[in-house]
Amino acid sequence: MTAEPEATDDDEIISTLSDYLDGALAADRKAEVEAKLASDPAWKRTHDELRETRDALSGLQKMRPSVTFTETVTEKIHKRSAGRFFARRTFGDRVPFTALLVVAVLGLVVIAYVMWASQTGSLKVDHGGSGARGSEHLVTPP
Amino acid sequence: MSELERTLLRRLRDRDERAFRELVTEHRDRVYNISYRMLGNRHEAEDVAQEVFIAVFKTIDQFREESKFSTWLYRVTVNHCKNRIKYLARRHDRDRDELDEMSAVANNATNGAPVRAAQPDRALEGAQMEELLHDAIKSLDDDHRIVVVLRDVEDLSIEEICVITDLPDGTVKSRLHRARLALRKKLQRHV
Repeated sequence: MTAEPEATDDDEIISTLSDYLDGALAADRKAEVEAKLASDPAWKRTHDELRETRDALSGLQKMRPSVTFTETVTEKIHKRSAGRFFARRTFGDRVPFTALLVVAVLGLVVIAYVMWASQTGSLKVDHGGSGARGSEHLVTPP
Repeated sequence: MSELERTLLRRLRDRDERAFRELVTEHRDRVYNISYRMLGNRHEAEDVAQEVFIAVFKTIDQFREESKFSTWLYRVTVNHCKNRIKYLARRHDRDRDELDEMSAVANNATNGAPVRAAQPDRALEGAQMEELLHDAIKSLDDDHRIVVVLRDVEDLSIEEICVITDLPDGTVKSRLHRARLALRKKLQRHV
């Protein structure tokens, strides 16, 4: 904890002007400061220096973290918790939707082909009444 | 607190990874910037900012929604920065920090930070001023640096700074005045 040193006259001016710049003064006090700024060059100079310093600080570059920041921090959590920290991921979270779609389409194609190629498959088109011919060879039990 | 923020917090408490990513994406720049201005070193700032988000995620159940979420987040950030400063002081890593800062301009280019290079002279002047301010902030003691970074760099309100630092209004203002006075003295010849 920092010990607060004794205030001097210069400190008093700075603190008043600091509050003034922060918009933290009551209306009557603000009017007093404005009158002082108009009449006292020392107050005006200090005010300008403080304002310039503050403007320079607020104009500092906004620094940004690395582009991999989010990935890195998420990965850290996964590693430290051995995957237990986040809620269990659903299947859809772990496997991309496109991959699921491709597998589903391929599956449908395979099923359609098997059904089409099968003797009894419902997609097989019967052109010559093979079913009727087949029935001719049926042996009727005694 | 907005309904959107409440929903995000609910999802965070349910340990939703997507919610966590959204949270990081929304706040990472500011958390990183505060950390950088507090620590004065890109590498340390990145590491601390990551630890902040991990801590927030781990302790989200302790956030009682009495303040804005961002205020709580910055409080965690400031506490992490203070701890890291103490740790670095113990490790006598200050010299390495200064070396890191010598390559700050090069780092800026690789990390996507804006470089004002439309006019070379102005860019150089801007870079010099940036370095000067950076050094001036770094030379402040920790308690003064915190308030000046939060108020003048991050433009947070005095009330918010009081909550973040857990200090009364008068102490925050007094430290802010002293920090500004110290910075004014350091920059008097340049600003």
